[in-house]
Amino acid sequence: MNLSTSQCFLLTSLLLTCLAIGLTQDLQAAAPSPPASLSPEKVSDYLHSIIEADRKIYTTYVVKRMQDQGIVLAREDWESKNAIPLPAQFLHYSSKLVAESGHGIRFRLISLWPIHRRNGPATEFERKGLERLQNEPDTPQRGIVTSGKRKFFQSIYADKGITMACISCHNAHPLSPKRDFQLGDLMGGVVITIPLDE
Amino acid sequence: MSNILTSETPIKRKKGLTTKLVLSMLLVGALPLLIGLFLAFYQGTQKIQEVNGASFEALATETARKMDLVVADEISRTALLTTDVAIVKFLEEQRDALNALNPTALAEVLQQEQARWEAGDADQTHAITQGPIAEKLKSQIEGTFIDPGHPIPLITRSATRALYMTDIAGRLIASIDHKPSFLHAQEPWWQGAFHKAVGQPFLSPIAFDPQLNTYTFTLALPIMDSLRYEAIGILRRVYDVKEFFAPSIETIRFGKTGHVMLIDSRGIVLSCPILPTGTALSDPQLTPLVTPMQAGWTSAPSDGHGGQDTSIIGFAPLDNTSRITQASSGVGWHMFVWQSSEELFAPIQQFFQWTAAFGILGVALLVTLGYLAAHRISAPIRRLQEAARRIGRGEFQEPIVMTTGDEIEELAEEINRMNTQLASQFAGLESQVALKTQEVEYLQESTSHILDSVPDPVIMITPEETIEYLNQASKNVLAITNGNSEGRPFFELLNLDPATQAKLHQEIEAVKHSSLPSSVPTAQEPNTKNLKDPLSQSNWGDTGDTRQELRLNQRTYRYRWFSVHVHPGKDACIGLVLRDSTEESLLQDQLIQGEKLASLGVLSAGIGHELNNPLVGVIGLGEAIQDEDNMENMKGYAKDIVQHGKRMAAIIRDFTGQIGNQFLESKTVIDINAQLTQAINVVKGQFPSESITVNMRLETIPPLRAKPYELGQALTNVLTNAFQAISGTGTIDISTSANEEGIHIRIADTGSGIAPSHLPKVFDPFFTTKGQGEGSGLGLTVAYRIITKLGGQIRLENNPGQGTICHITFPLSVEQPTQRKDDGS
Repeated sequence: MNLSTSQCFLLTSLLLTCLAIGLTQDLQAAAPSPPASLSPEKVSDYLHSIIEADRKIYTTYVVKRMQDQGIVLAREDWESKNAIPLPAQFLHYSSKLVAESGHGIRFRLISLWPIHRRNGPATEFERKGLERLQNEPDTPQRGIVTSGKRKFFQSIYADKGITMACISCHNAHPLSPKRDFQLGDLMGGVVITIPLDE
Repeated sequence: MSNILTSETPIKRKKGLTTKLVLSMLLVGALPLLIGLFLAFYQGTQKIQEVNGASFEALATETARKMDLVVADEISRTALLTTDVAIVKFLEEQRDALNALNPTALAEVLQQEQARWEAGDADQTHAITQGPIAEKLKSQIEGTFIDPGHPIPLITRSATRALYMTDIAGRLIASIDHKPSFLHAQEPWWQGAFHKAVGQPFLSPIAFDPQLNTYTFTLALPIMDSLRYEAIGILRRVYDVKEFFAPSIETIRFGKTGHVMLIDSRGIVLSCPILPTGTALSDPQLTPLVTPMQAGWTSAPSDGHGGQDTSIIGFAPLDNTSRITQASSGVGWHMFVWQSSEELFAPIQQFFQWTAAFGILGVALLVTLGYLAAHRISAPIRRLQEAARRIGRGEFQEPIVMTTGDEIEELAEEINRMNTQLASQFAGLESQVALKTQEVEYLQESTSHILDSVPDPVIMITPEETIEYLNQASKNVLAITNGNSEGRPFFELLNLDPATQAKLHQEIEAVKHSSLPSSVPTAQEPNTKNLKDPLSQSNWGDTGDTRQELRLNQRTYRYRWFSVHVHPGKDACIGLVLRDSTEESLLQDQLIQGEKLASLGVLSAGIGHELNNPLVGVIGLGEAIQDEDNMENMKGYAKDIVQHGKRMAAIIRDFTGQIGNQFLESKTVIDINAQLTQAINVVKGQFPSESITVNMRLETIPPLRAKPYELGQALTNVLTNAFQAISGTGTIDISTSANEEGIHIRIADTGSGIAPSHLPKVFDPFFTTKGQGEGSGLGLTVAYRIITKLGGQIRLENNPGQGTICHITFPLSVEQPTQRKDDGS
């Protein structure tokens, strides 16, 4: 069962990687000829749609079904407990794999109420973006951000609790700062970071 | 009775009742005790293993969680430095500056700066060790970096052996001291934490640091840019392993040996109160057993501390820490909880010892009580046994008194009853025995008296030819005056010549081997019939030899042997009866002589009488012829003389005829039936009468070897006698038969029979009841002689008034008739 989970996981990661490679190549190709360039908004939208689809598929068709049928549980310490990763962990790991690919594209799952502090907003832009998404979940928050002299485009997309598994876990986790999530509530956001200066 | 009396030998028992009872009590009591003891020990051991295993597992899990928190806490506290805005800003600037350089220029800058560091450039050293970032590092060490009111634990601070920071190029930018080298980009911890600029925490496996002379491990944390986009620097912190973990781990002790230790998945000890840090577990086989990614407990064949006893070990992985270490170097960290088996199983062993002690006590008690109980049971049984034995011996005793109130008491009563009954029966028996003994004694006495009263000597000898008994007469004869002669050799007493001794010895042997129980004539039976025949020449010479006689003390004794069974089951004794025949022998000799003379007289008288008449006639006719002139008369006289002469010749022939014929013919095989038929025809011709009925019933009989004329004459004589007896009117029944004893001829007539007084004389020569001229008195004599010569017998059975029956028997298969000495006479 772990194997199928791993396979699913790898497949998704590969898909995302391929997409990212394709997009960056497009961007690189587009650089010398501005008229043919692709706006980072569109790139992040494309990426997000894939990330969200994969996340939904994993959450709904893998984790929920597996747990409902009592085949295998998804839990935080899945490595040592012969389980499968939580949907959030799925995104973290795929994000890490994408980062390790070295193409410059990054995405993260962040929240105003993270269970681990490292998953909190890193910048003021991210914090504000999340706050805004609470009111306008369907409007991605976009902007140019800098790190030193480096410039990046960031889009933040709303991430909602789509299954009761997500809700109940976050409401019950001892490290969770918020414990009154409802199904469909905004729980966090997916930040996609695209470097602009390369 | 004698069997009972002799059954004195003690009965050999394999095991006594007491032993058996004690053994069975032991079996019933001790066996379940031992089984229970073993089961309790086994169950106890199992339970202790399970309970302790579970406890150890729980302790390992709990300690692992605690250590996880300690490590996580340390990481997060250290990580505070990596998120410091000033540091991040500084490092971003550094990054941007370095990015502006081309690779050659960058390499040159790095080389120059490294050289300055190694040269101990004051400005640079100051900037790195005293600069604002270095101050932040120091404040972290001092515990005042974030919250001065809550300094981080002294332990982790003091365990820190190095704390420094590098930028994106691996350059040292800040350090709490001057010890680190300048460039680190190629070091595993740096690359592990940088992780292709993605950045991830790094925990190194423990390794010996020769510079610090201790085991250390590295925590390297990436410093991410303000967007958390990429790693722009690395913070490294080096800890003394022992110092870092010991306070959390080595304080956990239970019992004397129970403790917790931290090992990695290579089996290397990180922290243990017993084993030094950096050593490997003593048993490499143990490592995979205790380092799975799940918590658990095991019963391992060794303890990892050098002991080879079965050990209960609890273990648990440091989940979160191991996730980092696994990602960093593939090594996991695990908790290991152990207590020495000796101590662990001490309670159950103590329990076992106590139980064993109680068990032994119990067994001893069981044996003692069992012995007492068995004794209580077996003692009355022994008394009963002794009583029964004494009753068996016929020693009647007082009634057995038992008050056990159980079956044994009933048994005792039964034995008492039996004893009483036996006593009454024995009393009757004793008087009967006394009576019988008296009778026997009387009988013995009277037998002795009778034997002593017998005038003839009676001697009893054993089969070994020693004297068993002598009656008074024999004592007198043998001149034995001193009483005891029993046991002396028989021949010693008798004082005989060797020849006689040999003869007697032979006869004794014959008696011994004869199966006949009563007296048997063993010596040659004197042929009394021959003795009766005074004319028999054979009797004259050897009468002395055949007589059973002994000469003792100038007197002659006739004797007879007999055998008698005196004692049942023993060989028969041989008895000898002597009869003084000194006078009798003399008389008998005289009698025989007299009988011979008398017979000769009768013979002479008979022949004389028979011959006298015709002789007188011959003489008278001879005288008449002398005076007669007439030839016719003379011829008539001569004719009469011839008649008388023939008659005399016939008389002589009758007397001697068979003798003459013996030479004329030889023996052949004869059919007796044919001879008989022929004889009847001859005799019938002499007695022509219509009133005589002859009935013949002849069976098939075996042939006889004899001379035909001789046998024919014998049969003719007998038949003539029968025909004469019926005097012309009557019936003659003739039958022949044969059985295994011999051939039997029976001739019965219905004549006048024979007067009893005549019966002994019928075979005497010339004895006749017929008138002068009717019979010679030789017929039956001749028949008798012929038949006895052939080995047969002839007997006349008289039935006065009804007739006479003549029985003639011949032995079977008489091939060679008995040779007689008178055959040639």
